[in-house]
Amino acid sequence: MIKYIVRRLLGAIPVLFGLSIILFAFIHLLPGDPAATILGQHARPELVDAMRHRLGLDLPLWQQYLNYVGDLLHGDLGRSFVNNRSVVDDFFVRFPGTVELTLAALAFAVGLGIPMGRWAARKPQSFSDGFITVVSLVGVSIPIFVLGLSLQYVFAVQLHILPASGRIDPRLQVPYTTNFLLIDTLLAGRPDAFVDSLRHLVLPAIALGSIPLAIITRITRASVLDVTHEDYVRTARAKGLTEKRVDGRHIMRNAWLPVVTVIGLQVGGLLAGAVITETVFAWNGVGKWVVEAIEAHDYFVIQSSILIFALIFLLVNLVVDIGYAFLNPRIRYS
Amino acid sequence: MATKAATPATVRVPVESRASRGLWRDALVRLRRNRPALVGLACIAIFVFVAFFAPWLAQYDPNKGGLGKTFEPPSAAHWAGLDKLGRDELTRVMYGARISLVVGVVSVTVGLTIGGLVGAIAGGVGGRIDTILMRITDVFLAIPGILLAIGIVAWLGQGLVQIMIAVAVANAPIFARILRGSLLSLREAEFVTAARSVGASRTRLLLRHMLPNALTALIVAATLALATAIIDVAGLGFLGLGPPDPRTAEWGTMLTDSTEALRRAPWLIFAPGIAIVISAIGFNLLGDGLRESLDPRLKR
Amino acid sequence: MTRIRSGAGLAIAAILFAACSGSTATPAPASQAPASAAAPSGAAPSTAPSAAAGTPKDGGSLVVAIPGDISSTDSAFIQDSNSSTVSNQVIEGLVATKPGTTGEIVPALAKSWTVSPDGLTYTFTLQDGVKFHDGTDFNADAVCYNYNRWNNFTGALASPDYSYYYAAVFGGYGKDSNLASCTATSPTEVAIVLKHPYSSFLLSQTITSFGINSPTALKALDADNPDPTKSGYNTGAKGAMVGTGPFMFKEYTANDHITVVKNPNYWNKAGVAHLDTVIFKPISDQTATLNALQSGDIQLAMNLNPTDLSTVQADTKLQAIDRGESCNLFHLGMNETHKPFDNEKIREAVAYAINKQALIDTFYGGQAKAAITWMPAGGLYAKDEALPEYNVDKAKALIAESGVPADQLTFDFWYPSNVSRPYMPDPKGIFQAISSDLEAVGFTPNPQTKPWKEGYLKEEATGKYPMWLIGWTCDWAGPDNFLDTAFFNYQGGKPSPEFAYTNDALNKTMKDAEAATDDATAKTLWEKAQDMIRADMPTVPIVNSTPPAAAAAFVKGFVGSGNLTEILNSVWLDQ
Repeated sequence: MIKYIVRRLLGAIPVLFGLSIILFAFIHLLPGDPAATILGQHARPELVDAMRHRLGLDLPLWQQYLNYVGDLLHGDLGRSFVNNRSVVDDFFVRFPGTVELTLAALAFAVGLGIPMGRWAARKPQSFSDGFITVVSLVGVSIPIFVLGLSLQYVFAVQLHILPASGRIDPRLQVPYTTNFLLIDTLLAGRPDAFVDSLRHLVLPAIALGSIPLAIITRITRASVLDVTHEDYVRTARAKGLTEKRVDGRHIMRNAWLPVVTVIGLQVGGLLAGAVITETVFAWNGVGKWVVEAIEAHDYFVIQSSILIFALIFLLVNLVVDIGYAFLNPRIRYS
Repeated sequence: MATKAATPATVRVPVESRASRGLWRDALVRLRRNRPALVGLACIAIFVFVAFFAPWLAQYDPNKGGLGKTFEPPSAAHWAGLDKLGRDELTRVMYGARISLVVGVVSVTVGLTIGGLVGAIAGGVGGRIDTILMRITDVFLAIPGILLAIGIVAWLGQGLVQIMIAVAVANAPIFARILRGSLLSLREAEFVTAARSVGASRTRLLLRHMLPNALTALIVAATLALATAIIDVAGLGFLGLGPPDPRTAEWGTMLTDSTEALRRAPWLIFAPGIAIVISAIGFNLLGDGLRESLDPRLKR
Repeated sequence: MTRIRSGAGLAIAAILFAACSGSTATPAPASQAPASAAAPSGAAPSTAPSAAAGTPKDGGSLVVAIPGDISSTDSAFIQDSNSSTVSNQVIEGLVATKPGTTGEIVPALAKSWTVSPDGLTYTFTLQDGVKFHDGTDFNADAVCYNYNRWNNFTGALASPDYSYYYAAVFGGYGKDSNLASCTATSPTEVAIVLKHPYSSFLLSQTITSFGINSPTALKALDADNPDPTKSGYNTGAKGAMVGTGPFMFKEYTANDHITVVKNPNYWNKAGVAHLDTVIFKPISDQTATLNALQSGDIQLAMNLNPTDLSTVQADTKLQAIDRGESCNLFHLGMNETHKPFDNEKIREAVAYAINKQALIDTFYGGQAKAAITWMPAGGLYAKDEALPEYNVDKAKALIAESGVPADQLTFDFWYPSNVSRPYMPDPKGIFQAISSDLEAVGFTPNPQTKPWKEGYLKEEATGKYPMWLIGWTCDWAGPDNFLDTAFFNYQGGKPSPEFAYTNDALNKTMKDAEAATDDATAKTLWEKAQDMIRADMPTVPIVNSTPPAAAAAFVKGFVGSGNLTEILNSVWLDQ
């Protein structure tokens, strides 16, 4: 197992290396001179030259690339052109927001998807099965921003039961320490603010969780059905075991695997979906950060945030694979 | 793109020992018995029909309106109401089917071609080439699809062609992955081993025996990708990266416009919204149906 | 304060003699609670000025939506409306415009002033006993520290991307500057001496960029670092934005919020803020802004889409806020180096082709008026130029007269994405409507777009676009600010590449008008300038808009202003 993990970790290195080349090339192929972008449209040529020199943009490309990789290895992801804040610092301000959002979305999708899938599988072709199938189909077919804006309209604007945007009511003035607001509010001993930040999570989590919900529901239904027809389930039933026991001991234990795999795979989709969800709900996370950086042509932030995104993505996949291997001992680590 | 990650896991590679023609014929028979797939096919048929015959079906000009008629609610003359510029929303949805069809089909075809080529080479040739190609694929797979698409549109500029390229590039690595996986698992399949034992050449083995069988998984993935392509284009439109001519009757752009007018004319969201959902459902149902028909072990 | 384009040459000088005739000023200080501030003239009956009845209550927090994040916390570098909205709460200048007006000068940190007969020496008498928010004294030395700081900018700081307005008003830095000296003649008296008379001097000093910051705080946060991105004073660090205003800067979290808190020791007792805290939140999407307002996430929105006005008015929990007379112009840019816009008849035809009233009804919710000249209708010396009215036949006839064949009526027409401006609430929609108008008379516009911040502004300024949507919100309400600074200025003896509108006689007329020493001459010259522009129709003026703000119904005391730079000390919550 350890050998497997090590091999997978080593396997990620060439991917990150390739990514660094692609991102480096991407930045250099983008129209416009970063130095001129930093200094703005009016800058005098000599100032632009000085800035190019400061940024090392006057060096040969290969040398620039080496410097870039060297900085990366030192954990220096550069600074924003726009506000000069360190990319790493900004990341730690933004990332907790995305983590809170994706975990909430995942909790929503898993918490609702698995029971729904099991319920649908109980009586295939029944009304409830059909209903759940249609709901999950519609779930994967609605663009996130349409669902998000509609939820906002109904629950925040019309019904006034949930807030429309943001992570917390700024008037509560909770000090940000970890930037995980659910934790910060508790650290500050503010149950009112905790509830407020929880309420802010609801709508974006539903919007973001809708696609994984649909997929998890379908997979759960499918794998429960798959297993139901297996011999050992029939044997168990024939032995006269209660339906509850068959369900718990025989069906779910075996139907679990594909569901776990799919849940893991959803994390990647959630990170991608966060880009649009965070924009809709003015949620201060990594997704909005990337969109802002692209809008502002903030090269280092684009470069580094995509790299970080990819790193998280790879790590999540690794964890899923390892978890999968644990759950299914039959898998040989090949 | 959010569903993309699910595809590889749920696609099972058929391990068929019969000749490939039989596989397809069987699949067709099974597909005909698959009710949801037929519903999906019907949705797509309507979608394609509308796209082809939009000028005959629609009563109005998609680009002609009148500012005086802004945001007229649905009526007998205008079933879906009039948009901000006084244009008939239903007409625009019909014309929009054309663009969505073209963007979806072209981007998926391009993605399929690139991804298929890479996957076929990697899976067919194997060895060092396989390793290199798959590492490159991994690099692209490591970037969330929508980010990749945003980046490409930001880089190439706005335009329908650029959007198609962006969606294609976002899809290609997935296709490459799937095809390679299928090919690898087929290597040891009985009929391949049999063909090999009677002395079939490597190329012949790949082209005549392995590819046709491996393509099934790819076709399923492509069908499902068509559904996401339509949604992705809408997402790009939402982020302000849609087609540069805002008069283009494109569903994503229309949907984004209607969300901007949600307060004044909430009904406008229905026509493009339903169109997107129905076509996406159509491709999703068909994709599922195809998967089930092509893999007889999956009985639902 | 909304700088919308580059390359505005250093258009100095303007008029407004009334405002700066040199006598000792007497009106009430700018930031005084305008309990008596009547509804600005021209307020539409549909929108209620919220400074209405009721005794102000103290306390409470207000969350204000601004259209985008701030770009700087150093007032000397501020050029965008988001940053100035925040800065204006904290930093004050020597003089200000009266709340609710765009051109009426009132005392701020200077309680009175005199101007020498030669128009070169401005002597300001300062308010007594004022302290900066950091507890240091505000005095004549502090004032000159600021003026000298600006004048001594070099390198990146002296580039128009940072201290644009200093150079725009003073013509440059150091020896190129129009500032001869700033002298503290006593702790409460400052003499600012110019090299050349500049009749718009006082009015120009009301803008955000000329706010007085605490010298101690500037030094502490390295405000003059040659790389402004390294200055904490510029980037919103703790201890930035230290002024004398009714609110004090508390914290800034990028793209999340900026918090200012009440200054209980505000020097102007009548202007002490009612609110304890004001939090500014950037929300770019207008629908999201309205949603946030209706759901109670925010209580005041500075950027309401005018087409949502009816929704706001229909909601008893909300109110629309009138912001007084328009101080902007939206026009259709045409560049004369691109065919067919080198042809005057074609430009005139374009002017006839556009249905302005339909645009006003559809995109401005009626909150705009068709432009009558190349500046706001209420602006000083604005002259009704009897601009072309919508007439398809006339447009077609002019095209026929022009002799340009039909196949040459094709051109790229650009609009910006990811933006809404006070004068241009919906660029995409307006673009489609104008395109259809143009097609109806025989043009073939080829749609092109770029995100506003990502290249649109840069490219249009270099003259790349044959036709495009553009506009201007005033910095100060003078004709120079529109006709010269914003539009048809010359750079180094050549017309700015943006419009490529060559008219040497016009340029001379404007320069003469700016140097004019009496009101009558200035009026004659500025009207003449407008006539000359009308004859050539270099761009097509479309509307002057009056963009509304919106607030929760319990928000009282907001005094709107056409230049959109309101101070919130008068605001209170009736709940």
